Amino acid sequence: MLKLDDVKKSFGATQVLRGIDLSVQRGEVVCVIGPSGSGKSTLLRCINLLEPPDSGRVLLEGKEITGRATADELDYVRRRVGMVFQHLNLFQHKSALENVCLAQEKVLGRSREESRTKAEALLDRVGLSDKLNHYPEQLSGGQQQRVGIARALAMDPHVMLFDEVTSALDPELIKEVLDVMRELAAEGMTMVVVTHEMGFAREVATNVSFMDEGVVVEAGPPAEVLESPRNERTKRFLGLVLER
Amino acid sequence: MDFIVEYYFDFDLMWQEHGAILEGFWFTLKLSIFSGVLSLIWGLALAVLRQLPGPAFAPVRWVTIGYIDVFRGIPLLLVLLLVSGSLSAFAAPTQEIIPREVGIPTWLGQPSPFWYGVIALTITYGAYMAEVYRAGIEAVPPGQTQAARSLGMSHGQAMRYVIVPQAVRKVIPPLLNDFIALTKDTSLVSVLGLVEVVQAGRDIQSEFFNGSGLVAGAILFILLTIPLARLVDWLIARQQRHGGSRGGDEGGEASTGLPTPQPSAGAA
Repeated sequence: MLKLDDVKKSFGATQVLRGIDLSVQRGEVVCVIGPSGSGKSTLLRCINLLEPPDSGRVLLEGKEITGRATADELDYVRRRVGMVFQHLNLFQHKSALENVCLAQEKVLGRSREESRTKAEALLDRVGLSDKLNHYPEQLSGGQQQRVGIARALAMDPHVMLFDEVTSALDPELIKEVLDVMRELAAEGMTMVVVTHEMGFAREVATNVSFMDEGVVVEAGPPAEVLESPRNERTKRFLGLVLER
Repeated sequence: MDFIVEYYFDFDLMWQEHGAILEGFWFTLKLSIFSGVLSLIWGLALAVLRQLPGPAFAPVRWVTIGYIDVFRGIPLLLVLLLVSGSLSAFAAPTQEIIPREVGIPTWLGQPSPFWYGVIALTITYGAYMAEVYRAGIEAVPPGQTQAARSLGMSHGQAMRYVIVPQAVRKVIPPLLNDFIALTKDTSLVSVLGLVEVVQAGRDIQSEFFNGSGLVAGAILFILLTIPLARLVDWLIARQQRHGGSRGGDEGGEASTGLPTPQPSAGAA
């Protein structure tokens, strides 16, 4: 479904991604963990082409999407890949319902009624049917994040990317977001999740990849990587994170 | 002291000449509204052109930046003289570079100096407003663009539905300030012979050797600009209360007090 082949990306003089290999099958949940600065967010951005990679290949459903990045290709990618961000990024000037409807109407060309029906269904699914007309500033972080998930899902993506979506939330709000993600995974959505929530990774992930300094240092089933890591760096990182 | 009152605050004279003064002020208002609305639109167009991304649009960006720099750098008076001089000359029967209806416009029954004024004011204030819009656009957090693009919106769609609406809301106070400045600069159109309110005051002065016409004009300006200035203050206060974004419609339920990581007013 999704394959990254020796993907490299630099910003000016700093090389952030030094050759990433990653493979995600349909229905899998891949959790990417690692210290900050390891390139995890950049990795996700290379998948939906917010940052086109400098070299290497990204294959989405068998089709190579790197290299040319024409308007059509960007279109192809972004309609199949949904992304939810750490810093929420809800459209501040629109209500929750409008946030979920906007891209449906303008990008997919759905009618107002169709988008609304879908938006209401999705917001209900993430537990926010009483907040349809609220504006982002009236919602808590956890609620905003759930709207963000609904907004991405409204586009019927094939893959969902989550960029540390709980890292900026108050602790008591994290669970509600993770619950939504758990359900999504259980329904068979293909997901790539950058996270610090090791419990979530242990429970939900099909595969965990540990990234450090731009490369995937270790990858495997969660039980292996999280409980009996083979690599020194993985052990060190987990030691820092799990024993707080 | 008596002299000051007599010379500048002769209310009887003001009343006597109120017809001419108000006629002049009517021109001031028309100039302000036409030029104000057109500059708001032209300024937004310039700001959008200036932001067009990608190497293909580099020439457009450069020309727009050049335009903005030039017209913020030349005195409005110069622009007025250049516009009226050139348009009328190009339309003169001996040159005929442009048609007479364009070069010496009398659209909507307004005399040509009025239109030269509108053109010059729009050209100049459009440049100022473009920079205000640009500040607004740049103050919208990059995450908004990222979210819009991730959802599949093109640059144009992201600008139109996400960025510009938020940017414009942020910069309404400075735009209003520019509009207030514009209303006062309409007085410069008097050099083209248009009898707006300042010129009306000067005509009264030369006829009656009394400056009360000028004071009457000043009073009218103050009546116009002070409410606008208070409106700006009110808008700024309202924006701060709502954290820079539009207030909600539902029940005034305030934000739960939990820190939201990305305030839209300030840059992250």
